[in-house]
Amino acid sequence: MIGYYISLALRSLRRTPTLSALMVAAIAVGVGASMTVLTLNYMMSQNALEHKDDVLFAVQLDSWDVNEAANTTNEIPWQLTYRDAQALLRSDIPTHQVAMHRYGFTVELEESAIRPYTADIRVTTRDFFNLFDIPFIYGGTWEKTADSSPMQVVILSKATNEKLFSGEDSVGETVILNSQPFTVIGVIDTWEPSPKVYDVNNGSFTKVESLFVPFGLHRKLEIYSWGNTNGWDSGEGEGYEGFLQSESVWIQYWVELTNKEQKTEYENFLTAYIQGQKDQGRFERPLKFALSKPSEWLVLNEVLSDDNRVLGWVSLAFLLVCVINAVALLLAKFLRKAPEAGVRRALGASRNAIFTQHLIESSTIGILGGIAGILLAFMGISGIRYLAMGQQDTVARMDWVMVIAAIGLALIASLLAGLYPAWRISRTNPSIYLKTQ
Amino acid sequence: MLKMHNVRKSFRTDTIETHALRDFSLEVKEGEFVSVTGPSGSGKTTFLNIAGLLETPTGGQYLLDGEDVSNLNDRQRSRLRNEKIGFIFQGFNLIPDLSLFDNIDVPLRYRGFSAKERRKRIEKVLEQVGLSARAKHLPAQLSGGQQQRIAIARALAGEPRFLLADEPTGNLDSLMARQVMELLEFINEWGTTIVMVTHDPELARRAHRNIQIVDGQVCDLRPVTEQPEAATA
Repeated sequence: MIGYYISLALRSLRRTPTLSALMVAAIAVGVGASMTVLTLNYMMSQNALEHKDDVLFAVQLDSWDVNEAANTTNEIPWQLTYRDAQALLRSDIPTHQVAMHRYGFTVELEESAIRPYTADIRVTTRDFFNLFDIPFIYGGTWEKTADSSPMQVVILSKATNEKLFSGEDSVGETVILNSQPFTVIGVIDTWEPSPKVYDVNNGSFTKVESLFVPFGLHRKLEIYSWGNTNGWDSGEGEGYEGFLQSESVWIQYWVELTNKEQKTEYENFLTAYIQGQKDQGRFERPLKFALSKPSEWLVLNEVLSDDNRVLGWVSLAFLLVCVINAVALLLAKFLRKAPEAGVRRALGASRNAIFTQHLIESSTIGILGGIAGILLAFMGISGIRYLAMGQQDTVARMDWVMVIAAIGLALIASLLAGLYPAWRISRTNPSIYLKTQ
Repeated sequence: MLKMHNVRKSFRTDTIETHALRDFSLEVKEGEFVSVTGPSGSGKTTFLNIAGLLETPTGGQYLLDGEDVSNLNDRQRSRLRNEKIGFIFQGFNLIPDLSLFDNIDVPLRYRGFSAKERRKRIEKVLEQVGLSARAKHLPAQLSGGQQQRIAIARALAGEPRFLLADEPTGNLDSLMARQVMELLEFINEWGTTIVMVTHDPELARRAHRNIQIVDGQVCDLRPVTEQPEAATA
């Protein structure tokens, strides 16, 4: 009977094309608008490091001003000072640990037609690639010594390797960064965590950097940060060395602790380190640090803001308004068909049969509305990408989960819209219409 | 075939209660052709709706084919209606956007017949009413008499034992009315029990028996031949 009901539904839609189009449009606009917002929220809520959520931790130390807590959700600075990062790097407790920050270089090749351009760089310790499970296409990462002494080596992203070396194996080639020659030692495969969990301080949804250079280059090249730098005491030192020794926080720090014992040991290490710094006159605030899992880190940093959440609810409320409109239209359509339902009842259709027939008709409208809604959502997301000029590329996209969710939402919306009208028509007294038709 | 004993039906609003049938008792035997007459508002259609299981009585007992149908649920009543009862209406009640073939197909779909069985039955009844060539036409493309013949074909397709006709010739001219009546008589001769509500005394006289309903009660159960002509007007 389901096939029969579907054919009746399609016939009914063709019989009243304008009304049917209005109902499909009501569902489509509601689904399109809500799916655009929900897709953005969904993509913003993703955790690209979910598979290592129990073993990775962002490290925060409260080295802030004794007179005023840091302006963060847990009142601990998001980033570390250079000297604290260097001190933590000396620990051998974590399986992997990364100190890093964002920077930028002018990139060029010797004797090449490619014009020099500015690129985002990540200055990092070698564990970055192991800790975040970043796959290599060619070569690999640098030696540990490069984390503490200057080695002019570079790892390229896949896109950069395509741009500079047409995707060929470029290991051993030379790239000029800020007029300094760097030897290519590796090329990573496409890796686009979204949100960019490892550095949400400098744009949660920006693209991953194009090149990666060792942490040991700071002093040689006087590398500052191209990301957020916060401080409360510039210290007494002069010049670049003074910056490195200041209380400015600009280094992101992650550790991999594979079990509870290791984590406890590392917590004890941090406690001892802070205590030691207190003895030297630093860390004047109450002893406080935090080890946050990636999922916790995203929440702490409010990657999905309250505004986004409110917008999500508003979009669902808009969908509800569209559904209510669809209910009114369906009710009008179904009640106009009440005489036909009366005839069907007289010919042997039960109330349930009439209810099912009309619910399938509303579901058909819902599926059509859902398909149109998905197209509208794609258009909405494309509009956001256009307006954001590439800044939201990693978020403003619809994956299969959201496509299926959109169809599900459309079906639920149409079922909700169709339940009452279908129930009403199945409960009408057929004898009224049989006599008066 | 049909036995009603002290059946009552009342309709209640906030301020008033209307008794459509009061202690209505009637028996129709298998193979009978019974006409039902009476003034407007006397309860003829209410009787027909209760007989056709489209409405439930407020009280009393109704036996259809020996089965007490007073307390059946909607699904059971629908099944009985589909299997045992055929309806013919004054306004034909064909579904306008279905072809004649598909209109006749409706009750057979609810019966759960296979596509092959449905096609066989539809072709058979279309032939019986002489409209095989019009199977793919829409109802609006037919005259009133032809539409009523299709409605009769639809009622007969499920081979019901009991046919309820509510003023089947009310919308037809005399020639068409006579043709439809002859068709009903033919169907009755095959053994189908027919109860027909009509305002037409001539048609009423052609039935085996005429029942007059006045104020929701049966007031005359004599055979047609014994009734004065005026009584059926």
